[in-house]
Amino acid sequence: MSAQAAVHDMSSAQTVLAPRAGTAERGRAGPGKGRWDRNKWRRNKGALPLLAPAIVLTAALIIFPIAYAIVLSVTNWQPSGTLGSFAGLSHYAHMLAHDPLFWDSLRITLILYICCLVAQTLLGLALGYLLSLDVPGRSIFQALILVPSIIASVAVGLMWLLIYDPTIGVADWITGGLGLGRPAWLGDPHTVVWAFVLLDTWEWTPFMALIFAAGIRSLPREPLEAARTDGAGPWQTAWRVGLPLLRPIIVIAVLLRSVDLIRFFDTIYVMTQGGPVNSSTTLNIYGYRIGFTDLNMSYAATLQIALLILVIVIAGGITWLRRRSQVE
Amino acid sequence: MNSRTFRRLPIVYLGYLAAGILLLGPVAFMVLSGFHHNIDITVSPPKLGAPLTLANYRTLFGTLPFGRYIINSFIVAGGSTLIALFVGIPAAFVLAHLRLRAAAFFILLARMAPGVLFVIPLYLMSVSAGAPGNDVINYLFLIFAHLIITLPLTIWLVLPYFEALPSELDEAALIDGASFTQRFSRVALPLIKPGISVALVIGFIFSWNYFLFVLTLSNKNTVTLPVIAFNFIGQGTADWGGLMAAATMISVPAFVLTAVAQKFLVRGITAGAVK
Repeated sequence: MSAQAAVHDMSSAQTVLAPRAGTAERGRAGPGKGRWDRNKWRRNKGALPLLAPAIVLTAALIIFPIAYAIVLSVTNWQPSGTLGSFAGLSHYAHMLAHDPLFWDSLRITLILYICCLVAQTLLGLALGYLLSLDVPGRSIFQALILVPSIIASVAVGLMWLLIYDPTIGVADWITGGLGLGRPAWLGDPHTVVWAFVLLDTWEWTPFMALIFAAGIRSLPREPLEAARTDGAGPWQTAWRVGLPLLRPIIVIAVLLRSVDLIRFFDTIYVMTQGGPVNSSTTLNIYGYRIGFTDLNMSYAATLQIALLILVIVIAGGITWLRRRSQVE
Repeated sequence: MNSRTFRRLPIVYLGYLAAGILLLGPVAFMVLSGFHHNIDITVSPPKLGAPLTLANYRTLFGTLPFGRYIINSFIVAGGSTLIALFVGIPAAFVLAHLRLRAAAFFILLARMAPGVLFVIPLYLMSVSAGAPGNDVINYLFLIFAHLIITLPLTIWLVLPYFEALPSELDEAALIDGASFTQRFSRVALPLIKPGISVALVIGFIFSWNYFLFVLTLSNKNTVTLPVIAFNFIGQGTADWGGLMAAATMISVPAFVLTAVAQKFLVRGITAGAVK
């Protein structure tokens, strides 16, 4: 079974859910939503023991560490292991006002994010269209090209270290052969970001393409066929009819990818550790180095909270845009 | 396949070929280089058809306790995936019934928070718990840290399968006097086996691949394959053959699952996006 089947599963999930959601709506319109809620719990007596372990683990693994990090960010942690004195928001103030490296790493994070996202979305759409066509061998090909996205990022980093090597690398040999010169790739502050854009696009375009392919295959046939009968060419049909229909799925794929891209870490840490001269230091790399090389846990926590806020703001912004476009 | 698609078949396969070379070429290059002598790798342009050898793998297993690292990877990825399934699947069943929106928020938060944010408190706690010097505590910390990845993922992947079950089944069981746990274990659970497979496959591969927690929390006895491969970069001057062999070793689960569980992989990767 393929992604199309998954789409089918999902749409049937929605039809099953629809009447249930309707009951909830009626319950809310009745004398009081509390009664419906009570009813819900009474009907599902014994639910709590099944949920409790997950609640305990979520509290211990997700809520507690975030709370701990917030505490670290407003105190002066000492390498001896004590929390030290209360620092208020001074770490945040230092970050915003006196730390040019924070702004540099923010800029690098955003450049990487935007370039990777645009490249992966456009190439993903093209590849996704190819994957949506019903030809023999489609599902095997689909699984095969997913390999770059599912092998360990450490393996990706190691293999591209060899590809980008300035003396024996294939990348140099190809650009040299095409007459584009022999850039230093990872060794040059001006090219290192682009080397990572290329690598990450290679790694994650298949992921985007797979989502788009499933989306294209779930599009209703009628509007597309109507456009063709009305004399629109294939490009016009795709651009004017197909793309707007596909927009909700594009938005979700962009959201999933954004959340990962803003936290760009693994391949950079493996390949350059943020160098040369900080030119590939993303916020995540910077926070890691402050914490585990400089052993300044309070400031590292501050930087990571800032990164979390950035992720939430961007993800929230995309969700808001999505809601707004749905209302229209 | 209609006639228009049929006419386009050569173009489609040409596209497959181009995409396949670009996307799988580097992977094939990595695997092949792992089976070549260094002298054949360190030439430009790359030499095709150089003699194959197992020397790099012999060195890996000869000079390092590589078997131990493989077992470590299985302990951490397997442990965190199994705990996530045991805890996450019942939770997903409850969430599908009670439609708790707040829970979705925490799942999302775990997906959005940077790993370093979690690892700073975890590292401080593991040091005060004595994890650097005690292998058992260390394994436990690694498994629990990886639950940050696998638990939200499991709930996220299994939830749609529970939601897709017809509500009549559950109501019939309720009328027959089945308890909540029975409605879960006897009625719903047998029907969502594909969802469990998806969560198992995706959870294992994500946990196996995860780098940061092992990088910061492990000691020399508990370290897993990806971090060992990374540490390899520093040692020995550019032993490319050994590096590529190590990179290939980390990728084996991904290759195996692509071969035997492709439908679960593809479904898991697109889950949550295509609803």
